[in-house]
Amino acid sequence: MPLLKPGVLFAVALAVGASAAAAPHELYVCASVNDNYVIGSTYVTMSGLFRRGGDGQWQHVGFNDVGLMAVSFDPRDHRTFYTATLNGCVRTFDGYDHLRVTTGWDVTEPRDVCVDPNAPDTVYLALPDGVVVTTNKGDTWERREHGLPTRGKYTQTIEVDRTRAGRVLAGCEKGIFLTEDAGKNWRQVLATVDAVLDVQQSPHDPAQWFAVSQSAGAWRSADGGATWAQVGGVPKAKAFYNVSFDATNPQRLVLGGYTYGVLTSEDGGRTWTERNAGLPAGHHVWRVAVDPDDGRIYAAVRSDSIYVSADFGRTWKAAGLPGSQVAEFVFVPAATNSTPARSSR
Amino acid sequence: MKSVTFLTVLFSLATALTAGAQPSFSGPPPSRTVVHDASVRRAQYLQRINEALDWRIAAIDRQNVAGTVDLAAVSALLARHQDIELCNQRVIELMKTPGSGPFWMFPTVCVSFLGRDQLSAEAKAAIRTAWKSFQIRGDTENHWAMYYTSVYLMSELYPNDPAESWFNGKSSAENRAEARAYLISWMDLATTVGQGEYNPSHYIGEYAIPMMLMARWAQDPAMRQRGHMMLDWIFAGLAESTLNGVLHGPNSRTDEGSVVERWNALASVFSWVLFGNTPPIAGYGGWGNYFMAIADSYEVPAVIYLIATDRSAPFLQRDLARSRRRWRYSAELFMPVYKTNYTTKHYAVGSYQGGISDPIQTHVWDVTWDVTDPRGIHNTMFSLHPLASNHVLQMYFSELPDTMAQDITKQGKPSYTLAGKIVGCSPYEQVFQDLDTVVALYDIAPGVEFPQVNGFFSKDLINVTEDQSGWIFAEGGDTYLAYRPLAPYHWEAYRHFDGGWAAKQEEIGGRLLVSPHLKNGTIVQAASAFDFKDFEDFKNAIRRLPVEFSLKPKPAVKMMTLRGHDIVVTYGEAPTRDGEKIDYAKWKLFEGPYLNAEKNSKRLVITHGALQRVLDFNTLTIADTVTQP
Repeated sequence: MPLLKPGVLFAVALAVGASAAAAPHELYVCASVNDNYVIGSTYVTMSGLFRRGGDGQWQHVGFNDVGLMAVSFDPRDHRTFYTATLNGCVRTFDGYDHLRVTTGWDVTEPRDVCVDPNAPDTVYLALPDGVVVTTNKGDTWERREHGLPTRGKYTQTIEVDRTRAGRVLAGCEKGIFLTEDAGKNWRQVLATVDAVLDVQQSPHDPAQWFAVSQSAGAWRSADGGATWAQVGGVPKAKAFYNVSFDATNPQRLVLGGYTYGVLTSEDGGRTWTERNAGLPAGHHVWRVAVDPDDGRIYAAVRSDSIYVSADFGRTWKAAGLPGSQVAEFVFVPAATNSTPARSSR
Repeated sequence: MKSVTFLTVLFSLATALTAGAQPSFSGPPPSRTVVHDASVRRAQYLQRINEALDWRIAAIDRQNVAGTVDLAAVSALLARHQDIELCNQRVIELMKTPGSGPFWMFPTVCVSFLGRDQLSAEAKAAIRTAWKSFQIRGDTENHWAMYYTSVYLMSELYPNDPAESWFNGKSSAENRAEARAYLISWMDLATTVGQGEYNPSHYIGEYAIPMMLMARWAQDPAMRQRGHMMLDWIFAGLAESTLNGVLHGPNSRTDEGSVVERWNALASVFSWVLFGNTPPIAGYGGWGNYFMAIADSYEVPAVIYLIATDRSAPFLQRDLARSRRRWRYSAELFMPVYKTNYTTKHYAVGSYQGGISDPIQTHVWDVTWDVTDPRGIHNTMFSLHPLASNHVLQMYFSELPDTMAQDITKQGKPSYTLAGKIVGCSPYEQVFQDLDTVVALYDIAPGVEFPQVNGFFSKDLINVTEDQSGWIFAEGGDTYLAYRPLAPYHWEAYRHFDGGWAAKQEEIGGRLLVSPHLKNGTIVQAASAFDFKDFEDFKNAIRRLPVEFSLKPKPAVKMMTLRGHDIVVTYGEAPTRDGEKIDYAKWKLFEGPYLNAEKNSKRLVITHGALQRVLDFNTLTIADTVTQP
C-alpha cells in the first residue's frame, strides 16, 4: 500500500447524515492504524489525529503518529493544541502545520493531556510516572507530584474542573487524586488497587463526576470529586476504558470497555444496559463518546472501525476509519472561546 | 492504542541476501589459539571486518539495486570509497520513504558520516530532508541509545539549523543538549547500578553500533571519549559472558533461536569480529554490517580480548544489573539483578536471582556447554516457569489491560502466550547458583497461566538417563549434567518458532520436561567430564550427594554441592552457603578476577594477568597499565 500523504481524505462513508456539516462541533479522533508496523520501518498507513469533515470523511491532520494518545485544545484558538504522544507532549500553534515536542528526555509516553480552560497557558500531562505541568504553553514543564504516592503514581487520565482554574483530578494506579492548586499539592480522594482509566465531569452539573477503573467498576461523585461512591449495576471483573456523558440529555451516560463493550444508562446511572447488538463479534470497544450536538454514540471497536448509533446503542452502523484503534474522541466547538468536550480523560 | 512500543526490527535486508561467500559463516570454526601478538590480532580483526564488507558488497546485484542496496550496503561502499554514484542514487531513493525511529535513524547517521566527504550535495540534502519526517523515540533502553546518539550526531553535523528544520521542532542546539543529557544520564545509570538490557543476545548491536558512531564521530571530545568507554564497557561484559565466543545466560532480552542454539545471536558476530573465537551468524546478523563499516577505527583492548579468549582456568564473576523500568505494581522503579557467572573450559553456568527482569524476553539461567563448532548445536540446559500475564506486562508498559499478551504474539514474540515456551521469566521463580550448581525454586500462585515448569533437554544431549535416584543424567560435549526435578513430570516434544515472525511451530529436536505443579523446583549440577573417571563415576558422585527437599509449605532445598558446599535455598528467603546468608545488598557492580567495580563508582577495572585497563567515567579517562613480573 503506498504511503498516504498528510491531508489525504479517507474515502469513508460516514452514516451520520448531512447535519455534520452544520454542526457546532468538529469531531477529532486520536487513532492508530498500524497493522504490521514496527518501530523504524516505513509507514504504510496513516495514524495520528483525524478530523471528520463536513462530508463525513476523515481527514488526517499533521504528521503520521502511531503513538497518539490524547489531544487537548486551547479554547482561545483551536489551532493551538497539545498532543500526548510516545515522544512526549507535542504542541502546535497553527493546526499542526508546525509542531514542537515540548518535553525533554525525562518525559515519556504521556497517557493524557489537558488544557485548563480557565488558565489556558496551563497544561497538565499524565505520565506513567506522575504528572508534569506547564504554565507557559509548554515552553517549560515541571513535575508537580507532592501528595501523589512515591510509587503508584502511574497516571492514565487527567481532567481539569471547568469551573475553577487549577482544580484537577487525576486517575492513577492507586486511585483518584485531586489538586486545587494546579498540581502543587495532591490528595487521594478514591483508593483503588488498579488504575483509574477515565475521569469525566458532567456537562450538565459540574459537581457531578464519573470515573471508571481497571478492576473496580464505575464510580461517581456528586461533590466535585471530593468523595466517591461505587456505581451499582456495573460489572467490575474487567476494565472499563472510558465514560461519556450525553450533553444533550442529563440522564444518559455511556461506558465502554474491551470486555463489556458498550453499556448505557438512560436514568442517570441507576441502571445499565448492554448495547452491543450490531457491533462486531466480541464487541471489543476501545473508546466511546456521545456527540454533544445530537446525542449519537460513537464506539471505536479495536482494530476494526468506528461505529455510530443514532438510537443510543440499540443499532449501530460503521462510521469509518477501518482498522483503527481510537484512543480518544474530542468534540471541538466551531466557535472559539469555548471548551472542547472530550470523550474521556 | 495498539502498542508499538516494544516492537523491534531484528531483521534487515542483509540477513536475507544469499549472494557471495561468507567464509567465516560457512567455513570451519575458527582456531581457539589465543593470539598474543598485538599486530597479528589487529591484522586479523581488520581481515574479519573486510570479509564482512566484501560479502556485503558482493551481494549487490546491479540489475536489482532496489532489492540489494540498502543503507547497510551503502555504508559498506562508502567505507570502501567505491561506487559513490550508486550510493548517491540509492540514498536519494531510500530517503523518499523515511523510516520512523531509531532503527532507521542510526543507519542514516552511519551513511551521513561515512559519506560526509563522498556523497553528493543532493544525496546529503535528501538525508537532511528525510530527517524532517517525524521520528519515534521508542520506549526501551536500546531505542533511546540509538535515538539519542543519532540525534546528537546529526545535530553536531548540522549545528546551526533552526527548530523548524528538525522533525521534533527543536533547534540543533536544543537537540544536541537534550541528547547529550540523556546519554550521560544513561551512562551514569549503567556505570553505577548496571545496565537494564544486560547481556542481550541481539540487542548488543543496538548499543555497540551507536557507541561506535559516537566514539568515531562525536565532535565534542568528551562525548567521543564516552562513546569509546561505553564500547569497552559493553565489550568487557561480552567477553566475560561468553564461552569461546558463545553468549550464555542470563540475558535480559533474547529469543527462542538464541536460547536453544546459543551461538545463533548477533552477539556471536561481535565475538567473531572482536575476538575471532566463534563463527558469525548468517549475513553477519544484519545489523552487524553497520558495525563492520565503521569498526576499523576501534582497537580491541588486549585485556578484553584475553578475557574473552582465555578459558584455561575457571572463574567466577558476579555482576549487578537492573530490570527494565517499572511503571506500576512495584515498590521499586528498577529491580536489582544479581548475576552470577561461573565459567570453565568446558561449560558456563549463569543466572540471576529470579523475578521479572524484562516482561517478555528474559532468560534467567542456564548451563551452556562448549562444543567445537556451535553452529546448529543446542548446547544448553535450563528450566523456567512460562509466565504470560497482562498484569506483569502492565508493570512495564503503559498499556491498557486486556490485549497486550495477545498483541505480543503478533509482534515478533509468537511464543509469549504458549505453555511450551522457553523464553521468559517469572515472579514465581527464585534461583540460587553456587559455582556450577543451580537451584531454581518455583512457588506459582494458583490461577496463574501456565501452572508448570518447563525444563529444556536438548537434542544434542547424549546418554540421557532417568535414574531411580530421581536425578536425570546427561552428557553435553565434555560436560556431565545432572538435572533433578522436584515434582512429577512428563515429556513433551519441544516446538520451536523459527524467528519472531514465524507462522507456525516446528519440531527441531529436543524435549521439554514439563512438571505441571505449582510448588516446584529444579536442581542442576554441571561438571567437567575430565574430573571423573567416566560418566558412571559422575552419576555415583551425584547419587551420593546429600539432598533434602520439600515443596510445602514453600519449596526448599538443602544439599551439598559437588564442590562440597552446603547450600540451603528456601523460596522467599535468602539462600545460605556453608551457613552464611547471601547478602545481595553487598553485591558489587562487578566482582571477579576480570571485572571489578564498586556500586555507584562509575569506574570499572578490567584485569587479565598483567594487563589492566581502568575506565573511569568520573574523569573520562582510560588508563592502561602492565604489571611487571
